[in-house]
Amino acid sequence: MSGYTEGIITLLCINAIAAMGVSLLTGFTGIFTLGHAAYMALGAYTSAILTVQYGIHWLPAVLLGGGVAVIVAYGIGVPTLRLMGDYFAIASIGLGEAIRLILENWQSLTRGARGYPGIEPYTTLPVALSFFVIMGLCMFNLINSHYGRSFKACRDDYMAASLLGFHTARLRVLSLVISAFYCGVAGALLAGFLSFIQPIMFDMLKSTELTAVVVFGGLGSMVGTLVGTLIITLVTELFRPISQYRMLIYGAVLVIIMVLRPEGIMGGLDGRWLAKKVFRRKDHGGTA
Amino acid sequence: MAALLELKDVDKFFGGVHAVQNMSFALSEKEVVGLIGPNGAGKTTVFNVITGVYSPDRGRIFFDGEDISVLKTYQVIRRGIARTFQNLRLFPRSSVLENVMTATQQHEAYSFLEAVSHFGRWRTKETFIRDQSMELLSRVGLADRALQPAGTLPYGYQRRLEIARALALEPRLLLLDEPAAGMNPEEVLGLNELIQTIHREFQLAILVIEHHMDLVMEICPRIICMNFGAKIAEGTPEEIQNNPEVLKAYLGEEDEE
Amino acid sequence: MRSSVATFLQQVINGLSLGSVYALIAVGYSLVYSILLFSNFAHGGFLVIGGYICYVALKTMGLNIWMASLLSLVGAGIAAVLTERIAYKPIRERTNVTLYLLIASMGMSIVIENIFVIVAGGRFRALPPVIPTHPVQIFNIATTSAFDLLSFVVALVALGCLQLFLSRTKWGLAIRAAACDLRTAGLMGVNVNLLIAIVFFTAGALAAIGGIFLSVRYTLYPQLGVITIKAFVAAVIGGLGSLPGAVVGSLILGLAEMLAAGFISSQMRDLVVFSLLVITLLIKPTGLFGKQMSEKI
Repeated sequence: MSGYTEGIITLLCINAIAAMGVSLLTGFTGIFTLGHAAYMALGAYTSAILTVQYGIHWLPAVLLGGGVAVIVAYGIGVPTLRLMGDYFAIASIGLGEAIRLILENWQSLTRGARGYPGIEPYTTLPVALSFFVIMGLCMFNLINSHYGRSFKACRDDYMAASLLGFHTARLRVLSLVISAFYCGVAGALLAGFLSFIQPIMFDMLKSTELTAVVVFGGLGSMVGTLVGTLIITLVTELFRPISQYRMLIYGAVLVIIMVLRPEGIMGGLDGRWLAKKVFRRKDHGGTA
Repeated sequence: MAALLELKDVDKFFGGVHAVQNMSFALSEKEVVGLIGPNGAGKTTVFNVITGVYSPDRGRIFFDGEDISVLKTYQVIRRGIARTFQNLRLFPRSSVLENVMTATQQHEAYSFLEAVSHFGRWRTKETFIRDQSMELLSRVGLADRALQPAGTLPYGYQRRLEIARALALEPRLLLLDEPAAGMNPEEVLGLNELIQTIHREFQLAILVIEHHMDLVMEICPRIICMNFGAKIAEGTPEEIQNNPEVLKAYLGEEDEE
Repeated sequence: MRSSVATFLQQVINGLSLGSVYALIAVGYSLVYSILLFSNFAHGGFLVIGGYICYVALKTMGLNIWMASLLSLVGAGIAAVLTERIAYKPIRERTNVTLYLLIASMGMSIVIENIFVIVAGGRFRALPPVIPTHPVQIFNIATTSAFDLLSFVVALVALGCLQLFLSRTKWGLAIRAAACDLRTAGLMGVNVNLLIAIVFFTAGALAAIGGIFLSVRYTLYPQLGVITIKAFVAAVIGGLGSLPGAVVGSLILGLAEMLAAGFISSQMRDLVVFSLLVITLLIKPTGLFGKQMSEKI
């Protein structure tokens, strides 16, 4: 297997882990986010700093990367969970940008906007695959448990869920925290793959990409999320040689997908109903 | 007999609107009570206050002797109260079975670790939840439709499903909000039978909001009538039917010629 | 102490000037939100289009600033309408899911930005100096530039015209009605598609004015549209969908940014913007003038 193919598969695993996290939050719990790249950034920088400056082994560093993302999600993200719908998404943009700016400006810790080089390339193919398989299995198991049903209840009808005895607030927190962990680990693995990270890699563009992948795969389908990740990652890599047009095509693809098949690959009737129910624009002037 | 549910002088304001005024009543274990009144009388608000969706501005609510006035919704539900909705709030895309399982699972928890690994009690609990839910579905006559998406059921069956889901919570008090809404007379008869069966087999107290008078008069030995947020009458079906205040509330004043 | 007061005044003036430019962008943005209830992230693209048209008109076609501006406004307005027709109309006709519109708007934003990257190159371009930028004294206490004053005045005029349009004309009334309830407005005989086109044209034109001023301030480059996110924050602070809110929010934001830059540091500017956003959302998510929407249970 060539180094290039290995690299692609590694990148696929990393993107898939992050996408699964966002999928749990957006597709299964109905919380739409545009700021999860920030959790990737936190994981990436934590791992980078720990391995480079403190000589810690990469395995605990990666896990701690996830841990830092969890702590930040719990501390700052949770108060914003009170916000419904659009407003949480807006808050996630604000938080995402704020975290990126803090990373850019805290030069002494993160070496600022120029980036953090010299990270040990610990994310080999076996490492990435192992993380992907283990975390993937856990995610699928979680969906097929009472937690899965609980998240979906919160997504489908928040009010009915609480009237079925669900502590909806706590479930939303759990979903956010898990999604942050997944993104944090993915970020840490990315740091070990590229050996170099910059705050600008984790901007709103990246966050939108994560959400777009989940929508593209079909909301509420974890398999769809994986398929979506596969396709988007491959397409972006394929167009890398013509990088000038790459972004243009990527933007056009986003528009085309939304116009032609917004419910995504695995969406079908499920996805269409789901998106309409969860993410509908409330007809203003009437009751919901 | 000690009251299972008791409301004492409950008031609820929405801005300037006095939605519930000085509401007091009690319900005993296994009693079936009807709550009637014209649209906008505040009946659903009473349900919402009982279940903690709104907290009362004044007054208290007691369930089995405990003051539940300021409890959050999920806390109230977990103490044994379940409700159905005027406008149906099923999970339409999930299967009939899944809808019920979402309720059944409340009593059959297992840990996060077990959920993620599918070891430990996962298999036994999941099997139990599924079996228990199927059993409930057959008791309400929906077993053969278990795997259908709930949204594709005929309307009458959707109402049944909502009741089944509420029952899966193993409540001691069931709040039914207009269960017969939109039903034709034949379906109403079926519902009548269902409620009486439930009452008999599950031995729970039921508080029913309804506009179908024939249903209410038939199954409720005691009826409370509300208008403009206040209780205007309480009594047996005969007493209510002949109560001038009730007639005035529904039919309006007689014009003096 | 004198210099502190002078700095303060200086930054207040800067802040008002910057805020007024933000207001042009935020108002257009809020206008679209009030009708379609979604955040058009491609709004920044209209800004950039406006800037480049003006640049080309001034440099290559040699027009005077008035003609160039007019061309720029009209061009950006048309681009906005086209964006709506191509990307949003097909989606909103099929579903009412705002998430899809949002992602499509992100896509359009990337498309527009990269069209300019490819066509115009990533260079920073300075507009020909036709807009005065010389210093002006204010009451002998602080100095500002003619540019700041001009942008403030132009913004005022533009927003004033908008206000007149909304309150005095038939279409203005239609827009205000649609902002309350789009579907009902349609049922009352308003040509909804035409209305949306007018709204987008207006938003594009306003963004173009903002774009011209921002290109003078920061020079012109394809990613200039990224500044729209600050207008977005302003709109949220003022209350999404509220036009007066967008103006007030923009001024507050401009002031906060400039005061932070003056008294703390330049890097803190952006951080202050997003902190204000998060604070607003935590305290009063609907912003200063936004309306609450609650669900009947």
